[in-house]
Amino acid sequence: MSTLRYGTRRTLLLPMLLSAKNRFFPTGSFPIKSIGVGIFCLVLCTVIFNVTLRVITYFHAQDELGVILSLKIFQMAWILIFVMLIFSCMVSAVSSVYLSQDNEIVFSAPITTPELYFMRYISNTIYTSWMMIIFSLPLFASYGIVFHTPPLYWLLMVITLVSMACSATCFGLLVTVILINIFPARHTKDIILYLSLCFGVLILFLIRLLKPEDMVYFDKYGFLIDHLSKISKPAAPYIPAGWAANFLSLYLLDLEIDWLLLGLILLTPFALYFLGEGAMKMWFFPGYSKSQESFGGNTKFGKKRKYLPNTWQWVFSKEFKIFARDSSEWSQLFMIAALVVIYLYNFKLLPIERASFSEEFITNLIAFLNIGLAGFIITSLSARFVFPSIGAEGGAFYHIRSSPLSIRRFLMYKFLFYVIPFTFLSLTLIIISNRILHIEGPMWWISFLINLFITWTVVALGLGFGAVYADFKTENKTVTMGSMGAVMFILTATALQVVIIFIGANPVYRIVRRWLNDHVLNLSDLYFLTAWVLISIAISLGLVIYYFRKGINMLGNS
Amino acid sequence: MNHKKLPKTGIIIENLVKRYGTFTAIDNISLEVNAGQIFGFLGPNGAGKTTTIKILAGLLKPDTGNVLINGYNLAEEPVMCKLHTGHIPDRPFLYEKLTGDEFLRFIASLYNLSTETFEKNVDRLLTLFDLTDWQDHLIESYSHGMRQKLIMTSAFMLETPTIIVDEPMVGLDPKSARIVKELFKNHARTGGSIFLSTHSLEVAEELCDRIAIILNGRIKTVGDMESLRKEASLETSDLEEVFLELTEAEELTEVIEALKNMD
Repeated sequence: MSTLRYGTRRTLLLPMLLSAKNRFFPTGSFPIKSIGVGIFCLVLCTVIFNVTLRVITYFHAQDELGVILSLKIFQMAWILIFVMLIFSCMVSAVSSVYLSQDNEIVFSAPITTPELYFMRYISNTIYTSWMMIIFSLPLFASYGIVFHTPPLYWLLMVITLVSMACSATCFGLLVTVILINIFPARHTKDIILYLSLCFGVLILFLIRLLKPEDMVYFDKYGFLIDHLSKISKPAAPYIPAGWAANFLSLYLLDLEIDWLLLGLILLTPFALYFLGEGAMKMWFFPGYSKSQESFGGNTKFGKKRKYLPNTWQWVFSKEFKIFARDSSEWSQLFMIAALVVIYLYNFKLLPIERASFSEEFITNLIAFLNIGLAGFIITSLSARFVFPSIGAEGGAFYHIRSSPLSIRRFLMYKFLFYVIPFTFLSLTLIIISNRILHIEGPMWWISFLINLFITWTVVALGLGFGAVYADFKTENKTVTMGSMGAVMFILTATALQVVIIFIGANPVYRIVRRWLNDHVLNLSDLYFLTAWVLISIAISLGLVIYYFRKGINMLGNS
Repeated sequence: MNHKKLPKTGIIIENLVKRYGTFTAIDNISLEVNAGQIFGFLGPNGAGKTTTIKILAGLLKPDTGNVLINGYNLAEEPVMCKLHTGHIPDRPFLYEKLTGDEFLRFIASLYNLSTETFEKNVDRLLTLFDLTDWQDHLIESYSHGMRQKLIMTSAFMLETPTIIVDEPMVGLDPKSARIVKELFKNHARTGGSIFLSTHSLEVAEELCDRIAIILNGRIKTVGDMESLRKEASLETSDLEEVFLELTEAEELTEVIEALKNMD
């Protein structure tokens, strides 16, 4: 019987393993995509490793304070990673344990609750922590190089990292199982999502208020260490991440192994696993049953108004209602608001007075480069909201395709729906940052108009790429953001902005220099500027038309 | 727009071919569905039914061949064809975060349906399908059957002269199934045409004026029940026998016998 049970556990993991195999190593074809992803990860890891190595080496070169500061950052990184893993696991656990589509097949099969727990535990651990483990390895590995540790550090680091991932998943699952018994599954998911967002916003503010730019000034190290201690110290001794950080810090400094901490690190995942299994036995079925009952709820929406045929108005209305009723969508606005505040706050903190050029020249230069920065924010947000909006139609897209509304017109309505808030956002970024920098004259208008133009182009490109790479089967928009199509979109949009800014540097420099010196505009400078604008429009329009047409063709034949 | 006034010449399919890579899903099929007719489209799994339906609904582009819907060529005037066609798919994909009422208004707007037609039809159809109390609830809280009924409501409210249906009775309770059958018959009585793909031979036998059987992408036979029986040399048999005979499923008899003998 026990053989059968172990067989069941292995069987339960088969869908995940086989799906991964089919995805990364499809039978009969060369796994070019997987190799591409592998190379991309490797490059990113190398970049993280090199950047961290340089930063830590720089700190070490300063003084003893530099070593302490680097270890404080080390501890904070462990705590952050651990908390992020817990939140990520909780959000994932509500979906995978209670709301997943395969639940009806799995739960109706003759398997025990501990087996179910095992299945969900393994899949959650892999899904939520693989990325964190891979990308934090080079980060922590660089400490080993700087502190000249023997190879044992690498082994201890990997063991600690895996143990943290397992502990975070166990803890996340345990809390989720308890929460589902208090709230309905969908509400629990919303609550965890809001908590995660609040945590994200808090982290953003903490990091910003830390003023990382001060790390280049040795005289400010004391303040930074004090600040970091306030953030990480009170929690550290009581959570596994604190044990991990303290354990490895001790080894980095003195090559000593604290056996008590190592014992805690190794045993905690097992203890939490069995606690979670116990909670699952007690509360899983009532919670699952409740999650079925709470599907949809009984909320009624809207008062009836007279129906009036107006296609664009109803496409807008549909888009808005779907966005407003999906908490995973609108709640992201808080994060965006925090980003905008931090973005603008950065301009206040710029050490312009330390620059060797005239203040006016520097502020104008920053305003010009700010076109690219604001454009990059618009690109990132387009990748999150605009790019997945076509695929998000899901199976229901056939209503559009089988209706008399052409795909071209549908895309135009979508464009108008998204371009309005994006225009508002980009203008907010540009106008306020220009005000903080006291920008006046031609640069104000150049940054205003070019940013407007870039925003419209990027939103249109987002839709075009979204149409070309539409994935109607994906349930989660966040997953779409990491797809090949999204990466291609980000690269293309960013490259376009780099080109626009690069070829605009000279004409803008000529205009602005003359304006700053003499407060006049020269006709030949204006010709150059016009040529730049026309070339930018031609390149952008060409790209947009190409991808829109390609998208319309792809959607028409999908 | 009053769709009742539009010309009702049904559907004409000419030499339609659709390939997926090297696999030919539809191999040169030609069919005609007249106005006032319910046309049954039968065939085993993978025979090419859904591909044909998707082409007729404008969801898939054929490699060669023509489709005329109410006199309009689907390749040349897709918008006019779609304006004349209601489509009921086999799987009711809907916008989960809209209410039933909002969904219907959205679809009506896509077809530019007049306020009068919308108001006249929607209340009647929602009442018929017992959806009135649910119209202001999010679609995510609907059962499979309710979703199917909402799709039916959206297709019938449009009053298009042609309706294309893929597996109409999936998920419907007996009462709703009865209502749908009556709606189909009424649509045909008033001069509309219905192209209906189904696995339910009872439904086909009860509703369809003419039936086509498709096998491996080719039309095996077309005709009314009488002519199909004659072709299968089974003058007194029901549609199931005729279907099995015409789709070359003789080996099924042996399988059934083997199953009967299993303990």
